[in-house]
Amino acid sequence: MSKLHIPVEHTTLANGLRVVASPDHSAPFVTVGVYYQIGFRLEPRGRSGFAHLFEHMMFQGSEHAGKMEHIRLVNSSGGLLNGTTNYDITNYFESVPSNALERVLWLEADRMRALKVDDENLRNQRDVVKEEVRVNVMNQPYGGFPWLDLPPIAFRNWPNAHNFYGDFADLDAATLADVRQFFHTYYAPNNAVLLMLGDFDPKEAFALAKQYFEHIPTAPAPPRADVSEPPQQEERTGEVPEKFGPLAAIAIGYTMPQRDSKDWYAAAILDRVLHGGRAGRVHRRLVLERQIAVDADGGADLLEANGPTQMVTRIFPKPEVDTKAAIAAFDEVIGELTAQGVTEDELAAVKVKTRSDFYSMLEGGMGSYMPRFGLMHYLACFTLFDGDPDRVNSVLDSLLAVTPSDVQSLAQKILVRPNRAVVIRRPVAKGVAQ
Amino acid sequence: MSTPAAVNTNLAAVPALGPERPVAWPKRTIRTLANGLQVVLAESRTFPKVSAQLFFRSGNAVVARTTPGLAEMTASVVRTGTSSRTSHQIEDDLRRMGADLSTSAGADSSVIGISGLAEFSAGLLELVSDLARNASFPESEFERERRQKLEELKIARTTPGFLANERFRRVLFGDHPYAIVAPTEEQVAAYRRAELEKFYRCHYTPANALLIAVGDFASEAMLAQIEEIFGDWRAPLPESSLVAVPPKPSGRQIFLVHLPGTVQTEVLVGNLAITRHDPDWFRAVLANSIYGGAFHSRLVINIREQKGYTYSPRSGVNALRQHGYFSAHAAVRNDVVAATLTEMFYELDRMRSLPVTAEELESARSYLTGVFSLGLATQQGLLTQLSTVYLERLPEDYLETYRDRIRALSADDVMLAARRHFDSANAQIIIVGDRDQIADQAALFGPVTQYDVHGQQLSN
Repeated sequence: MSKLHIPVEHTTLANGLRVVASPDHSAPFVTVGVYYQIGFRLEPRGRSGFAHLFEHMMFQGSEHAGKMEHIRLVNSSGGLLNGTTNYDITNYFESVPSNALERVLWLEADRMRALKVDDENLRNQRDVVKEEVRVNVMNQPYGGFPWLDLPPIAFRNWPNAHNFYGDFADLDAATLADVRQFFHTYYAPNNAVLLMLGDFDPKEAFALAKQYFEHIPTAPAPPRADVSEPPQQEERTGEVPEKFGPLAAIAIGYTMPQRDSKDWYAAAILDRVLHGGRAGRVHRRLVLERQIAVDADGGADLLEANGPTQMVTRIFPKPEVDTKAAIAAFDEVIGELTAQGVTEDELAAVKVKTRSDFYSMLEGGMGSYMPRFGLMHYLACFTLFDGDPDRVNSVLDSLLAVTPSDVQSLAQKILVRPNRAVVIRRPVAKGVAQ
Repeated sequence: MSTPAAVNTNLAAVPALGPERPVAWPKRTIRTLANGLQVVLAESRTFPKVSAQLFFRSGNAVVARTTPGLAEMTASVVRTGTSSRTSHQIEDDLRRMGADLSTSAGADSSVIGISGLAEFSAGLLELVSDLARNASFPESEFERERRQKLEELKIARTTPGFLANERFRRVLFGDHPYAIVAPTEEQVAAYRRAELEKFYRCHYTPANALLIAVGDFASEAMLAQIEEIFGDWRAPLPESSLVAVPPKPSGRQIFLVHLPGTVQTEVLVGNLAITRHDPDWFRAVLANSIYGGAFHSRLVINIREQKGYTYSPRSGVNALRQHGYFSAHAAVRNDVVAATLTEMFYELDRMRSLPVTAEELESARSYLTGVFSLGLATQQGLLTQLSTVYLERLPEDYLETYRDRIRALSADDVMLAARRHFDSANAQIIIVGDRDQIADQAALFGPVTQYDVHGQQLSN
């Protein structure tokens, strides 16, 4: 097997900004990202959806690049850009031809240093975000299933359990003062990491990073929200109405082990025994063998979570199959795994697929037009959560070292009713769309 | 390092772009085997993976008149069994090679696509060959896939984007096979296994095929491997079936698809345009980029960044093999449907009436040429580019000359393309939403024809 080594160089600037570079001269591109350690899990109470709304505001102008300038300058340099809000991080990134590296660093530094927005920008983006929520959640069959459905049922602590896209009333209540305070609290260099990947000389890239970012003042470390969950005693269940889709949909989430524990690696492998397409046990049993579901699969985003997170299975039972029967069939799969474990042969195949998927994630990870997006994402999470970007070169070995007994004993420990939540999307009325 | 004062001056000015670094266009190895199979290979060796796609130049258009969607159903069942492998074995084999497989069909082609670890390249290609030549169409797998398709169709008919696109293609293409984007449930229920097999025998042939492989391999060795695996495959080219170009719809017409209970309206506007072989293709691509094809485009600035009507408006020039079309779409809140249409047409007419500014022109040209090169930095991106070139039979130097052809275009080219291909006077308008909330707004633009989600016309 060929062993892939990713070059990783990193430093910390005087103001606390961590800088990570991974040179790659295979094509004349650079992908640049700035990751701030603030996500919707950490947004202020009573301000659901604010972290995401704020992400939009970061595209509305900074001191030397006014509204639309950031977007125009990246597009007209031949590049693409975007940002996303996640549980524990918010990221801003662009892929451009390598001759635009300095320009992109200038842009990112300008908005880290001096966001400049007004009430009009806020009203405008509040409207845009509402349409985003409508197009992705309220006006689509199974919109928001299950990522918005499960947390309020699975978790008890507000940071983990609230509506991450935001209630419209909370979005309406957001003020420019809130935006400014959020910026000053969380968008400081010492709460972020800058990543540069692609075709550049690392020495020059670090010098540019220093030139554009090092003078940005440090801020007091933001308050660390308590994201811990009280111990769960019994299975949690709930239902959510499905307005458009004709089928019921079931999501079953098991809370995963803490980041970086030995169980954490075993959990990642366990997830891939159960999920990951047609060879996964859940799809094979429910869709291919028993044929009681139209679709069934799932997964866990362990590498990018820095707090309570779940492995989630999604099942779309056929309309004539009762949701209880579908869950019972799923429980049989879980029962077999806990009772009999996995064979060496099955685990070996799962590991080959894990390795292959890991490489694909590093190479692209967000469509083919954001080269090395996945590598950037992993480097950022390993830096912010573990303090060690170079883990990108060892995490795969740790995953491949998991044994059948690790998987079985973990399954016995975590795949239990008092560690899970079940939510059912129930169609409101048959034939509503006649 | 600079002094603080110098840094401050520096900070107010946008840094100039550095000197452009040359793009090394991937070297291709192109060969046609004795059996007619066209092979295109490109090395991309940064990550130890291989991606390959075996295309057949026949898709749903071939069967649209008799059995709509049959090519797609055939592709779905192809992966479920061969003369020597069961469905389970196929999935297990894939996992053991770290592979993902997808089989699908569009209007013009069917494809078996695989991506896995380079160390298993022979096994990956053998599996593709097995699926392409020895699919067994197990009855039980066919019935399972058919049932899944039926459920998927039910869900699609509650999805605004699908409904808008379905009605749009019907309106644009009329009697042409491209009018149909999905079968009805009745049509799926009527498929027979023998029809799938017949499509497979007739169209999954080497003379009708194109194999593109990208990844971590040495081209000469890979070519030898392909010769060995695919060389003894013999089957003839199917008859081609070209259908006459439909007449362009004339005059603006409005079609409302009634989806009760929606809290947002899908708006789609467009017209018949051109294929990639038209001399205006690059002009149209550039004009589209300025109109609504990029984040920094007029439509996005207008209805998103200035007015806040929508989250993700976009436009596109779309090329099928025989015809193409231009379209712009946005999902907007219900009370601004008329306002959105007004702005969409305003921006279309502005493109047709006034030259774009020098700054817009330069910006859009740089955008297209830059993003084009980014697409070559991943195996999947490279595969997508190569499949466009070779599937559409574009010139061999298409990749190498793309950037120069875009850079050579002027503001006159943009206006010319807009006048010819953004046919504002004859644009067809589709809106999908709750008619009680939007029918009045639609009627401001002309006579409205209403449909239910199954395509049955409703009385107004």
